Amino acid sequence: MENRKNLRPAFWLLALLSLPLVLMYGYLVLDTVSTTKPGALLPDHFTFQHWRFLWERDAQGVSIWSVTLNSVIFAGSVTLIALSLSLTAGYALSRLNIPFRRHLLAMVLVLHAFPSVTLLVAIFIVLQMIGLYNTLIGVILVFAALQLPLGIWLMKGFYDGVPWEIEMAGLQDGASRFTVWWRLVLPQIRPAIAAVGVFVFITGWAEYVTPQVLAPSGNTQVLSLYLAGLISNDQHFDFALFKSVGLFYIAPVLVFYAFTHKALMSIYGGGTKG
Amino acid sequence: MGSSRRLGLLFLAPAFVMVVLFFFAPTVLTGVFSFTTMSTSTGIYGGDYFVSEDALRRLASEGEDQLAQQLAGTSYKIDSAGIEAVRVGEGGAALADEIAATLAGQHFADQREAERAIKDLNSRPRSIRALKAVVEQFRRSVAGARFADKAGLYAAVEGAGITLDEAQKEALAGASWSGWHWTVQNFKRMATTPDNARILINTILYVGVTLALFHVGFALVIAIASHYLSETASGIFRGIWLLPRITPSVLFVLLWKWLAWDTGFISRIAALFGAAPRNWMLDTAAHAWVFVVLINGFVGASMGMLIFSSAIKAIPAPLFHAAEVDGASHWQQIRFIILPQLRWPILFVACYQTLSLLASYEQILLSTDGGPGRVTEVWSLAAYHSALQNYAGNLLYGYGAALALVLVVIGVIASLLFLRLFRFKELVTQPRIEI
Repeated sequence: MENRKNLRPAFWLLALLSLPLVLMYGYLVLDTVSTTKPGALLPDHFTFQHWRFLWERDAQGVSIWSVTLNSVIFAGSVTLIALSLSLTAGYALSRLNIPFRRHLLAMVLVLHAFPSVTLLVAIFIVLQMIGLYNTLIGVILVFAALQLPLGIWLMKGFYDGVPWEIEMAGLQDGASRFTVWWRLVLPQIRPAIAAVGVFVFITGWAEYVTPQVLAPSGNTQVLSLYLAGLISNDQHFDFALFKSVGLFYIAPVLVFYAFTHKALMSIYGGGTKG
Repeated sequence: MGSSRRLGLLFLAPAFVMVVLFFFAPTVLTGVFSFTTMSTSTGIYGGDYFVSEDALRRLASEGEDQLAQQLAGTSYKIDSAGIEAVRVGEGGAALADEIAATLAGQHFADQREAERAIKDLNSRPRSIRALKAVVEQFRRSVAGARFADKAGLYAAVEGAGITLDEAQKEALAGASWSGWHWTVQNFKRMATTPDNARILINTILYVGVTLALFHVGFALVIAIASHYLSETASGIFRGIWLLPRITPSVLFVLLWKWLAWDTGFISRIAALFGAAPRNWMLDTAAHAWVFVVLINGFVGASMGMLIFSSAIKAIPAPLFHAAEVDGASHWQQIRFIILPQLRWPILFVACYQTLSLLASYEQILLSTDGGPGRVTEVWSLAAYHSALQNYAGNLLYGYGAALALVLVVIGVIASLLFLRLFRFKELVTQPRIEI
């Protein structure tokens, strides 16, 4: 193209605007394996000492692994619950004969746009009343429920794309609707299940506000809260440690992202909170 | 078809129950709680009747100061409960019988009078200490006492020799109730607190500026630029700008703190030019706002970027070829081809992000926490600080719920309008995953 040259300014403008991000993520990795003299811009020593949190307990005697286990339980259960409920409800909305289908679909959409974080005050009071405050099970149920509108909507979209003939054939062979769904339809959307599952898992893994409000302390602490607590503790101010824990925290996300980024981008583009 | 319907309801039921429990119920309950005085001090379970100093002060301020004074004092009443206590305790049966015979039913205004009366008895206690112990059994005071129900409260007051009329009973019960009660004060308070006007303006400015600069503005810039840039370059830029979205917010804000804090990167760069290190995020109100907008904007830009990019990709390529042949500049192509095509996506992103910016406070909470002072406090964060966490430790659940109710109502109305506005049309086709 003859006017590719005109694009130089645009390129450099974007590069300039992206610079903070490049710096932040570059130093995120760099600082975890090196030491820098105070005031210096570049590190001068290679070291693994910032990673000792992996095999040592912290000042409160908490091991990173127990916190990580909480995060895995939290994000895993949320994924399991949200995914299975979305799979069934999405199929019902897409293919089965249910009353008020249009209204239910509209409801899912409205709920998806609705900023659910505003409900946390009421949910917080209710969880205290029923004794689920500061328990993992309470925060799992709440957070899984909050993922449902998007999950159901995405799943409905995938089911819509499955050719009807597959189910027709199954039914003609005498299979029940349930068998058709389980044996014929689900395998068709396996990649979609994986994509939504990864998406929900990453969302749960990264979530801070919901556990912070509903399960803030003790044995239920997840990684986001652990890291936030570390940062807000004025006694041990150590950016390299924070970043190492942070890199440890984000590593699974990056791995998942590397494998599924195309599918994830479409979900993020489809509109999520933030 | 019957089996399809049964399966359909079965398949829908679990999700429906969850939605009712965690969307509908909390929506209604936010409204319900906002009409209560629930707080850390009242608890949420109900309460009891506690004749505390505060309760007496409240009673006095309601015009019952004489009653409050009476209640604050102690009196002595010779009743059967006291006599029985004496019989089994320090005094013994003889003393108890004599008290029952001679003093039953009498009132004494203070301890000295009661002691004198008992000292005059034949079987009086031998020591002063024993005498005091006996007298103590007849002390009837309601100040500082807790009662599970109104009947117990009234009985105790009568027992202390104070008779109440109906109005006084009501006033006392109201003033001494330690649990929560229904009220409209939360809304009055919300409307009259001067801080709230500032918070409202903060919120509008924050949402407007972040939305215009980043969620729509910068998202457009990067989407359009990556349309013209080479595949590799645009892929790299989009990859970089997706990082904030997949990064957990705690870590993302930490990275900004590393940039901005007094030992951070900006201070180190500034030191090269001789500037003293300082906390660039929190040292002035303006800086705090800049960082709040930047942090939220960097996270939010990616959604618009993705939607706009795919909308631009959907524009038929011949349109651009024809424009090039006709000698249209990039600027003209953007102005006359791209932007008109992006009208709906822009509207969609703007509406959607307005709502999520209004409601979410995660990044502000983690970065400035509304500071310095309360300069960067926005409405949703104020609700959080009132009801869920603050340094004072007295959480006002009711008031916080009232603040949240404003957002819930806006959210409900806006998301309903949303459905009207986009009529399934945009939304139905939007969330698809190409695999």
